[in-house]
Amino acid sequence: MIFKTLISGVIREAIAKKVFLGFFILSTLILLGFFIFLNTDSVTGVATMAGDDINQFVLGSEIFILNVSYLLLITFCLIGVSSIIPSMLEKGNIDLMLSKPISRAKIILGKFTGGVLLIFVSLVYLLGAVWLMVSFKFGYWNASVLSSIFILTFSFAVIYSLVIFIGVMTQSSVLSIIINIFLIFLICPFLASRETVLFQFITNNVAQFIINFFYYILPKPGDLQTITTHIINKENIPSWQPVLTSALFLITFLSASIYFFKKKDY
Amino acid sequence: MEVISTKNLKKDYQAGGFSKEKITALKNFSFNVNQGDIFGLLGPNGAGKTTLVKILLGIVYPTEGEVSIFGESIKNEKYKNKIGYLPENHKFPNYLSGEQVLHYFGMLSGLTSTEVKSRSDEYLRIVDMEKWKKTKIKKYSKGMMQRLGIAQAMINEPELIFLDEPTDGVDPIGRKEIRDILLALKDKGKTIFLNSHLLSEIELMCNKVAILNKGELIKEGTIDEITSSGNNYMFTTSDLSDDVINILLSQYFASVHGKNEFIVNTDSTEKLNNIIDILRKNNILILSFFKEKNSLENMFINLIGSQN
Repeated sequence: MIFKTLISGVIREAIAKKVFLGFFILSTLILLGFFIFLNTDSVTGVATMAGDDINQFVLGSEIFILNVSYLLLITFCLIGVSSIIPSMLEKGNIDLMLSKPISRAKIILGKFTGGVLLIFVSLVYLLGAVWLMVSFKFGYWNASVLSSIFILTFSFAVIYSLVIFIGVMTQSSVLSIIINIFLIFLICPFLASRETVLFQFITNNVAQFIINFFYYILPKPGDLQTITTHIINKENIPSWQPVLTSALFLITFLSASIYFFKKKDY
Repeated sequence: MEVISTKNLKKDYQAGGFSKEKITALKNFSFNVNQGDIFGLLGPNGAGKTTLVKILLGIVYPTEGEVSIFGESIKNEKYKNKIGYLPENHKFPNYLSGEQVLHYFGMLSGLTSTEVKSRSDEYLRIVDMEKWKKTKIKKYSKGMMQRLGIAQAMINEPELIFLDEPTDGVDPIGRKEIRDILLALKDKGKTIFLNSHLLSEIELMCNKVAILNKGELIKEGTIDEITSSGNNYMFTTSDLSDDVINILLSQYFASVHGKNEFIVNTDSTEKLNNIIDILRKNNILILSFFKEKNSLENMFINLIGSQN
């Protein structure tokens, strides 16, 4: 019951901060735009001409929306959840929380689960609605799109574990946003391109080893997105390594957050 | 029965940054609080009061020493089921209403939703906040927040309540109401641990007091023990004659202030009766007669002043 209260507290806080309201409004606008787009004469014309290739058109639309929602998710959710831990650690708030019969580990896990659940619901709303619209319109029901909701939620959970860790260590939401944006939009794509771009210029073995090392220990949002695309296209997944190493990252940072939170005086 | 017991408690804080220097917030601190006590903790700023309360609540870890609450080590969080706490400058989520605050913190205290619902109206009524229960707390005044904080500390019907500056920002009438609430809780057998700068308030409410300075316990006892100034008896009378004044000075070493007031230091009941006999024999009216006491404030200022 206490754990459930912690989770509902996170959801209530996020709603109160109106960031997720923004996410829902924007998602609704995207859905409306997409609905209008689907019902334009040109789309109907393309669908008629495509004939048996309509499935490809459907998959393309779904992947497009997936990529848009991924960007939306990162921006809104990062801003939305980055203050959850720092605000909890504020004087007068943390004292009250720690005086309750809840273990410190449970507090962190509750905040984590609440944030992840929130993103899951947001994604179900956006991607679920897109899937229903496209499927109804073209009569092609590709259920594998729905599995992307889980991959994207997982992708967020990995980032969120780092947000929590930075929050526990520094009590700064701004720093958390900066580090994550830097990591997701700069470092990770940079490392992900190591074989195709970087190693063309860097031939030194030691340097390549260091780059590989960072690639494997850091989260891989781009690679997870690629896996999602493979799933939607019903293609074989070349490697599950990004999922495994990202999961390891999540576990490490969540455990470290719990460890330091347990150790600290407030 | 001992509700709180600490033994040789010590807390060092790192001075900060990369410094190896340590700041000692509590030194060798041992004390007990019994069931049904209203225990007041006094001390100047930086004396270690908040550190002590935070250690008792498991918010700060002691460097050395033992703490037990309800006879059990505080390492097990279960004791917090029987505890209520109102921190100084508490921060409730400002997007919640008064009723929702009680619901949220009641649930975090391990109550069921039904239990919280049945109790929240009762406690909001006790702190006179019932009509504001649907209002978002960001619209509350400081006094209203304190009242809600007290209701929050009571919602799980705790055996032991920690209150840090409970009347901070509350007007005199509100303070009296809070005092009455706390005294009613004491009558129910609850133990209250009070941390307040308002010495007059501590004097009015607490039956036991501990005074801390620079992390050390410098005095502990009942209010009477702490404020007692020895065996000084003060008499206020009608005009004293010169003869009587001479007797008082020569035989009883009294300290006479003018013609209507004198103080005698004695632990002999017989001597006091003799003085009364002398006054009566000389047709002097005794207007008042009492054992002199220090106010808690005077005693506190003298004690801390002498230490610093």
